[in-house]
Amino acid sequence: MKLLSLISGVALAAMTVFATAAASAGDITIAIGSEPSTLDPQVRDDGGERAVNDNIYETLMARTPDAKLVPGLAAADPVQKDGTTWEFKLRPNIKFTNGEPFNADAVVASVTRIIDPTLKSEQISYFGTITGAKKVDDLTVDITTNGPDPILPARMYWMKMVPPKYVSDPNFASHPIGTGPYLFDSWSRGESIVIKANPNYWGGAPSIGQVTYKFIGESGTRLSGLMAGELDLITNLLPEFTKQVPKFAAVQGLETSVIVLSTENPSTKDPRVREAMNLAIDRDALAKDLFGGYAKVTQGQLVNPKAFGFNTALKPYAYDPDKAKALIKEAGAEGATVTLQGESGRWLKDRETIEAVAAYWTAIGLKVDVQISEFGEYLNRLFDKAHRPDAIFVANSDELLDADRAVTSGYESGASFASNNDQDMAAESKAARTETDPTKRAAMYADITKKAYDGNYLAPLLNEEDIYGMSARLDWTPRVDSKLIVKEMKTTD
Amino acid sequence: MIRFLLRRIGQGLLVVLGVTMVVFVATRLVGNPVQVMLPLSSTDQERAAFTHTLGLDKPIAQQFVEFIGNLATLNFGDSLWQRRPALAVVFQHLPLTLELIACGLGLAILLAVPLGAFAALRPGGIADRFATFGGLLGLSIPQFWLGLMLIVFFAVRLHWLPTSGIGGPSHIILPAITMALPSMARLMMMVRSSVIDELNQQYIRTARAKGLHFTQVLFGHAMRNALVPFLTLAGWEFINGMAGYTVVVESVFAWPGLGFTALKAIDHNDLYLLQAIVFTVAIIIVIVNIAMDVVYKAIDPRINLA
Amino acid sequence: MTAANILPAETGATPRSKWWVLAEELWRDKAGFIGFVVIVLLLIMAIFAPLLAPYDPAVQSILTRLKPPAWLDGGDWAHPFGTDQLGRDILSRVIYGARASLLVGVSVVAFAGTLGVLLGLFAGYKGGRIDLFIMRAVDVQVAFPGLLLIILIVSVVGPGLVTTIVVLALTNWMVYARVIRGIVLSVRQTAYVEAAEMIGTKPSRVIFRHILPNLTSPLLTLGILEFTNIVLAEAAMSFLGLGIQPPATSWGLDIANGKDYLFVAWWLVAFPGLSISITVLAINLFANWLRVTTDPQEREKRFARAKAAERRRHRGEGR
Repeated sequence: MKLLSLISGVALAAMTVFATAAASAGDITIAIGSEPSTLDPQVRDDGGERAVNDNIYETLMARTPDAKLVPGLAAADPVQKDGTTWEFKLRPNIKFTNGEPFNADAVVASVTRIIDPTLKSEQISYFGTITGAKKVDDLTVDITTNGPDPILPARMYWMKMVPPKYVSDPNFASHPIGTGPYLFDSWSRGESIVIKANPNYWGGAPSIGQVTYKFIGESGTRLSGLMAGELDLITNLLPEFTKQVPKFAAVQGLETSVIVLSTENPSTKDPRVREAMNLAIDRDALAKDLFGGYAKVTQGQLVNPKAFGFNTALKPYAYDPDKAKALIKEAGAEGATVTLQGESGRWLKDRETIEAVAAYWTAIGLKVDVQISEFGEYLNRLFDKAHRPDAIFVANSDELLDADRAVTSGYESGASFASNNDQDMAAESKAARTETDPTKRAAMYADITKKAYDGNYLAPLLNEEDIYGMSARLDWTPRVDSKLIVKEMKTTD
Repeated sequence: MIRFLLRRIGQGLLVVLGVTMVVFVATRLVGNPVQVMLPLSSTDQERAAFTHTLGLDKPIAQQFVEFIGNLATLNFGDSLWQRRPALAVVFQHLPLTLELIACGLGLAILLAVPLGAFAALRPGGIADRFATFGGLLGLSIPQFWLGLMLIVFFAVRLHWLPTSGIGGPSHIILPAITMALPSMARLMMMVRSSVIDELNQQYIRTARAKGLHFTQVLFGHAMRNALVPFLTLAGWEFINGMAGYTVVVESVFAWPGLGFTALKAIDHNDLYLLQAIVFTVAIIIVIVNIAMDVVYKAIDPRINLA
Repeated sequence: MTAANILPAETGATPRSKWWVLAEELWRDKAGFIGFVVIVLLLIMAIFAPLLAPYDPAVQSILTRLKPPAWLDGGDWAHPFGTDQLGRDILSRVIYGARASLLVGVSVVAFAGTLGVLLGLFAGYKGGRIDLFIMRAVDVQVAFPGLLLIILIVSVVGPGLVTTIVVLALTNWMVYARVIRGIVLSVRQTAYVEAAEMIGTKPSRVIFRHILPNLTSPLLTLGILEFTNIVLAEAAMSFLGLGIQPPATSWGLDIANGKDYLFVAWWLVAFPGLSISITVLAINLFANWLRVTTDPQEREKRFARAKAAERRRHRGEGR
């Protein structure tokens, strides 16, 4: 009998050791929405790949969790030497984890590779202005642009630095090597990617020892995984579930929803009609009811509140359905049909938002024809220059956190999805893109956003928050730029 | 036999070619992949430049000629979405779908044969009526709903099994059950009706009169003759799976097989990957069809397959 | 006793109407009877949906989101099946959902059936090259990854009710063609049809008087079984987002909408799923009965089995 209990005691102890060895304190599992197709950090514009590579590779400039642009691998903020050249000084004594030194050669190689047309990088739209990089000395690099480019520092926050020799290795895309706080460990295709802490990281070894990424496309399945204890962190948690999960955190994110109104189409030509359309929407109700409070009403503009060029002077559009009805009557637009284009499933609560707005516009006397298209067709309509839609829903994401992106997409006539014909505004937007004096630049964006606000070119809706579900043992404050930077995470066990 | 095989292979190739043509046309109509690949805030010039870099602005006729030429060397180009050779992507995901179909069909056959045979022993009896009802029930439950319910019950409530994805052996259990249910129901009903019919045949009565033990009769004679229709159905179930009916199960369980990949490829307007997938699947279906015909001939030389 | 009712013509009793006899047979097969009753109820539900449903299925009410079914904590009888994430009443959506399923099912069977029957008739009757060509077309279509074809077409044309019907018809006509062609070929080989053709009977007369009557029974059963396939296929398509689009209601669509909330609100998925299952099961049970009843060989078997089962029971009692 004693022997039996001794044996079972040993067996139990052994099992416990095995169990905890698998998931020791300081290891976490993160669920991302899709498996990366490649771990080459410069080829694709893929959130799944970034989730992993943001911890393995680093960039010259970085951002604080609150989105302030600070030096990363650079030693200090870059200096603009002349109209088309920015000078970066690099931090000394940094190595890639395969021993290659991080220096000016590495920067030049990284820049040259990503702008090379043969790479066919999907990220080229972030770096379209860069013409090249030149080594000045081992720790100084000049990056040249094709014209004045005040956004260059923000661009360098998006460009990952790769090891110049290893980059031509055939394994590069499946076994990444960077300067960052984590090392690539393994990739079991279809199943998971594992990264481990880099003990020699120049910023000090991170707290969490190992991260396993699992690929789960369905938000309901991610939630189930979290609830079942299989996961420590899930993204895009729906607002309805914040009470269910062990822990959650919400932070203002990069996405802003907006309805772009046409200033030329017969039904929306009259500025009074557009003003009415803006006044008719109860944005507070949308934020509270649809998003459970996890969204903020926009301040009358498409620019992200954390972005450079955000116009702090603009106030949110009021909710005044009576005035809206009166304006519609005055413009003689009662019963007029407005087409509202949109898609479903790509962005959080997109269909619900579109239908809610349609309901608001119907309530003030318009007839709304809601057309939800499949995403490819929706994109065709969004970018169709010849036939602008009366109204089209978009959720704009501002990765570089600079007003230029938002303004060029939604405000500048003739660009991506703007629906106005304001050539002065377009000229100002083009000028602002190359204005190197930040004060002047900010003033130009203030001017543009105010003009669009007064003219009701857009109906900006909500600044959406990113909600993350976490296990009880994970301790983390999420970031505005929605990057999953594991070195900022801790476990409580 | 050889002539027959050659003829079937020739027909099969025509079929595969026809299928690939259709996909080529359909994918060109679908839309602009570049719009989905680049961030929404890209400018029109950036999109146009990228389209040109990918060679997608070449005239359709030229694309078609290149496509046919590449087909001969089985070069499907690089997947626009994954940026690596399309055929490699297909071969990475294909085994997972095959595993799903195999496990599902295997489970179905394992259950269907004994259940069907047992029900057939006493037709009209209690077991038979239960089996028939159960079979019809199995055919009536939508697979995606069954999968979701299984996940809620076994993974979330009981924590017995994982909620999704691939991994160790425990990950295949729920997906295999979900795949198996309708197949099992169909196969069981077919086994039952075949065995009933066989058991009523004269030669069975003769065998029993001769004194052969019942199980000998059952397995030695009745079930062997039921083999051909059974094989037909099993083969059809397999083909159905390949033909995309794993998509639903793969979606629900986040099982990264070919169906799942095809859905994503369509999402990304990835023409090249779609072509590669459809081509591969068509070839597999044709091969399975031909193999089944060969097996028929081997089992029962009387069968005329013309 | 049982014998007399199954073969009424032989009793010499007052001849009852064919329908009454059928009704009695249906009653005997409890499962088939229940199936029939459910089907009738579903038809009523679909046709009279506006009268039966307590609410408009598309009406959203932000205040009453995710209410549980009435018999659970937090539910109330104003919403017997609870509400979904937009506050829409689930019972109403289930009732209206029947319309989509039945409409798609009937339309597709009608179109696919007509197309398939015509092609099968043509192939079987004309034979030769035409037959070869049509059957090759069937082969190509069968070899085509069915669901992938559906997905492709939908992504080109865009999803919706009409696309769903057209696409399902295009991918499901083949079975009709094959079955009809087989029957045509075998009927043409019977002595009396050969004789009729020999004496120069017009083809249309041959078809109508000899071939068609042989088609009705298998076509009926096939159509009903295909109907269940279509209902399941439409549900799967809507589930994948390729079928019926909001604001229209479909059971498959509701399951897709509800799966994100599965963990907190299982009723969003459970009731539409149950509806699909019950509908398809009912049709299957009824079709099973129908198949046996309309096929003389099967009727014989059923009769024989019932007798054998009875005998076994009596034997058991006798011991």
